[in-house]
Amino acid sequence: MSMLLTKRLARSLWRTKLRLSAVVFMVAVGVFAGISFGSYANAATTLYDEIYDGEDGVNLADVWINNPTGVWDDSTSESICNSIDSQWPESDYSLETCEARLVIDGMMLTTDSEGVEKVIPAVWHGIDEGLVDKVWMPTYSDLSSGRIAEASDEIVLDSHIAVDLDIDIGDEIDIGAGYGKFTYEVVGIGFHPMHLYFATEGSTLPADDGTFATGYLTDSGLEKLANLSAGSSNLILIDVAGTPDYDLQSTSDVDENPEMTKLVKDLSELMSDIDDSPVSVYDRSGVFSVEILRADAEGAANMYPYVTGMIAAIAGITIFLSLQRLIQSQAKEIAVLRTLGVPKKSIMPGYVIAPLVIGAIGSLVGTLLGIYLGAPGMLSFYETMIGLPIRLDTDFSLVFQIVSIAMLIVLFAGLRPAWQASRLQPLKVFRGQHEVKVSSRKMQRLTSKLPATVGLSIRSSLRKPVRVSFTFFAVGISMLLFGAMLFMMSSMEDSLLGGIEEKQSWDIQASAPIDGEASVIDWVEQKSGTYELMINFPIGLEDDSRELLSYGLDSFSTVDEKSSMISVEMLDGSMPIAGSNPTQVLIDEGTSEFLNWDTGDEVTIMIGNTAHTVEISGITKGEISRTMYFHRAELSDLTGVQSTSILIQIPDGTTLDGLSDVTIGYSLKEDAIKTFETLLEQQQQFVQSIQFLGIVIAIAVLFNTLLMNLAERDTELATLRVLGAPMSKLGKMMFWEHLGIGLIGGILGAIFAYFGTVLLIGSQVQWAFYFTIEPQFAATFTIVGIIVAISVALTPIGMWRIKKMDLVDKVKDFSQ
Amino acid sequence: MPLMEIVDLQRHYEMASGVVKALDGINIDIEEGERIVLLGPSGSGKTTLLNCVAALDSPTAGSYSFDGKDVPRENSEEMTTFRRENIGYVFQFFNLLQDLTVLENILLIQELSGERNKDRALELLKLVGLEKEVDRFPAEISGGQQQRVAIARSLAKSPKLLLGDELTGNLDSKTSDMVMEVLVKACKAENITTIMVTHDEKLTNYATRVIRLDSGKIISDEKLDN
Repeated sequence: MSMLLTKRLARSLWRTKLRLSAVVFMVAVGVFAGISFGSYANAATTLYDEIYDGEDGVNLADVWINNPTGVWDDSTSESICNSIDSQWPESDYSLETCEARLVIDGMMLTTDSEGVEKVIPAVWHGIDEGLVDKVWMPTYSDLSSGRIAEASDEIVLDSHIAVDLDIDIGDEIDIGAGYGKFTYEVVGIGFHPMHLYFATEGSTLPADDGTFATGYLTDSGLEKLANLSAGSSNLILIDVAGTPDYDLQSTSDVDENPEMTKLVKDLSELMSDIDDSPVSVYDRSGVFSVEILRADAEGAANMYPYVTGMIAAIAGITIFLSLQRLIQSQAKEIAVLRTLGVPKKSIMPGYVIAPLVIGAIGSLVGTLLGIYLGAPGMLSFYETMIGLPIRLDTDFSLVFQIVSIAMLIVLFAGLRPAWQASRLQPLKVFRGQHEVKVSSRKMQRLTSKLPATVGLSIRSSLRKPVRVSFTFFAVGISMLLFGAMLFMMSSMEDSLLGGIEEKQSWDIQASAPIDGEASVIDWVEQKSGTYELMINFPIGLEDDSRELLSYGLDSFSTVDEKSSMISVEMLDGSMPIAGSNPTQVLIDEGTSEFLNWDTGDEVTIMIGNTAHTVEISGITKGEISRTMYFHRAELSDLTGVQSTSILIQIPDGTTLDGLSDVTIGYSLKEDAIKTFETLLEQQQQFVQSIQFLGIVIAIAVLFNTLLMNLAERDTELATLRVLGAPMSKLGKMMFWEHLGIGLIGGILGAIFAYFGTVLLIGSQVQWAFYFTIEPQFAATFTIVGIIVAISVALTPIGMWRIKKMDLVDKVKDFSQ
Repeated sequence: MPLMEIVDLQRHYEMASGVVKALDGINIDIEEGERIVLLGPSGSGKTTLLNCVAALDSPTAGSYSFDGKDVPRENSEEMTTFRRENIGYVFQFFNLLQDLTVLENILLIQELSGERNKDRALELLKLVGLEKEVDRFPAEISGGQQQRVAIARSLAKSPKLLLGDELTGNLDSKTSDMVMEVLVKACKAENITTIMVTHDEKLTNYATRVIRLDSGKIISDEKLDN
């Protein structure tokens, strides 16, 4: 009996194949998106583990001791490591390796297709011993090849720049670090743990093609380049036994490994005893490239179940509403069966099985698309974005997890309609009482002054509040997919491009050799340009492993004034007053948020191992990294550094000849803008795919509901047609109705998208990457416009449906 | 000139089992003000005839005119216009719009026909004895009251011809009488011709003419003095 009933249900469902396929489509999309995002998350996590902690990985250091203001000579470097070894703090972790390294800023010189020399800012590493923070050259990828540098004229070039500039093994390249140009032979192409995420220092975004270079030389090779004595270093790498956890920046209230935090603190104190340099000591959380890849992997892993759940929830809602409608239309049949003695338990299984079958078909389609299309596409996008070799392994536990989420949601969506079907009272159905519901008196009063056609449109649209609410909810979620991208892209564009185009008016940012500022200033004056000196220096926190980047500026101005080369957008407070006691500073919104610091607070910061108190005079907005602004003279007093870079403005058309001779390296504002533009362009394809998905889902949801609304009103509309209502008037009525639904749905969708995005971003932001979403009129208008357009576009379908209505049949139905 | 002239009207359906002649050569002249009851067993063709008269269905052959003009039979919008301008229709199950009040059900038809006239709507509700129920929803009044609303609605645009398909089929005997009395009173007041399809012989008490059909043919056509 039950099999026949299920067969009957299947045939009924098949009659609504268009709506049925919309539901299957949505399940498939949910599973597809889940597998695609999940594969991305898995690949990111695997990549992270493989590179940093795998056997063939880089043996990432556990603690770094960085000297940002100078260079230790051979004996000091050796003495530091000896002291660390002999005075190793009391800790659960034993010292495995202490390795001194030299890392310096410089430049790579190339010529473009027109033969014009181009200077690319660079970072050069001297890697001799290479026991820790090794160059990663995976054999499975054609993105790396060759061997490490052995002779002083050899270099391993980072794969990112080698690919960008089409440089191969055996090629010769010209590089410099403020002491002339030297030629090196490329003997290897690989990756370095500090530059896996290939971004210039201080930038949170990957560098655009050909705008940043890194390379790995022998110690002697780099000493020659930087005109330094043998054995010079400015970075000590410490590796301890095992792979200890460390305090993650993303979890400010939890210390994942207090023992490691203690070790970092003890080493910091030890360093202050054995050396006067203002060093910074940090664990893996302080290495941007490491932290951002870890955060990305963690974010992706946290995100994909939600993405799957969200889309599957929309599918669930659609299934729920469709089944409810199906039961309503089959009420008489069910009532007849019940009258003939069919038990409730025979009615229910079919309505439980139906969504499971729909879910199974959708899941199968989604799985195939996810494995063969989504995951490879996603990983290829990821590979293009970060320039790292990704290995695609289909993870069947992931597939199982995603399909389980989808099937569970689908099953729950079908349970209530199935229960409702089995509980239908035959007598009520035959009397038509199951359908007749007294309309809301409040709604009648609210709309009583309106024309009856308008009143009817409003009341019948709201006749099924559960359906309307669910529909708006589903549209809201689909718009969250669409709108999150829209809001994020608009806000990112404002933050990134706006940040450099609106807030920064320099043309060139140059690094001078130590005490070499005067030569750069001479060059600027020769070119009739202007300049400002700037200091960038890492600032530590008391009993906290996180770091801020300080900016020492010659002068301050707001974005409206723009009287200095770097201006700030004030959120609260006022500009710092030079000479105040304590020193006044500005902090960015993210720092204020994470550290709970506010305007007027006096706070302690660490420069090297020395604690200083500063007063926060104001809070700025728009900075993605954690930032503290000082008057340069005051920061200089604290750090002992005059400047780390020179901001230069030059008249249009000025050539840069001679600049590379007096600087260690320089970068152009136009390259920075290009980087942001390229990044936004790269994101576009991905963003558009998600947006397309959101729109398609919104279409399917609205299509399903509006079609159900129409189907439910067949009798009503047929009555009006029989009574002589012209198509034009019914069409107009439907148009206004759809417009209303579209407007309400659109506004709710926009609200949903905005607050959803704020929540989404709120859950993703962390110390290294802070970002806020601003409500934007254009984005809001786009979302509302899209939903209105989808809704209104369904009017012709409704009219076509009315037009093809067989009134004779309908009149016959009226008499049954 | 009769209000409606039907000459050799045929409506045939092609079925798998062969051609079914639902109407097989119907000839009727309908005069203004007549109250016609169409009687016959199931399948006799009375509803098909009503549908053709209402321009809901198109006959296979034959001619029929209304007020001297051919009734449109091909173009659905012309058929709709014909119904809007000339025909009132009362259904067995009332088919009132549940989201609209009694008064709004009538106003809606006026609006869709191009002219909203609240006074007229109220006057019609008074005519059918429902002046106190204007703000109620259909679900809040009885079946008989609903059918009276449906009658008022069908009169709202002052049709020349009112058609009823088993309009008392869903009502008890006492309520049927009440509804029919209201209908007759209203049609007399508005000078409207009526054609009612029914199985109920009792309705002949309210008719001025009774036409009996069987197998798509008229088997009797009798004028009464009601």
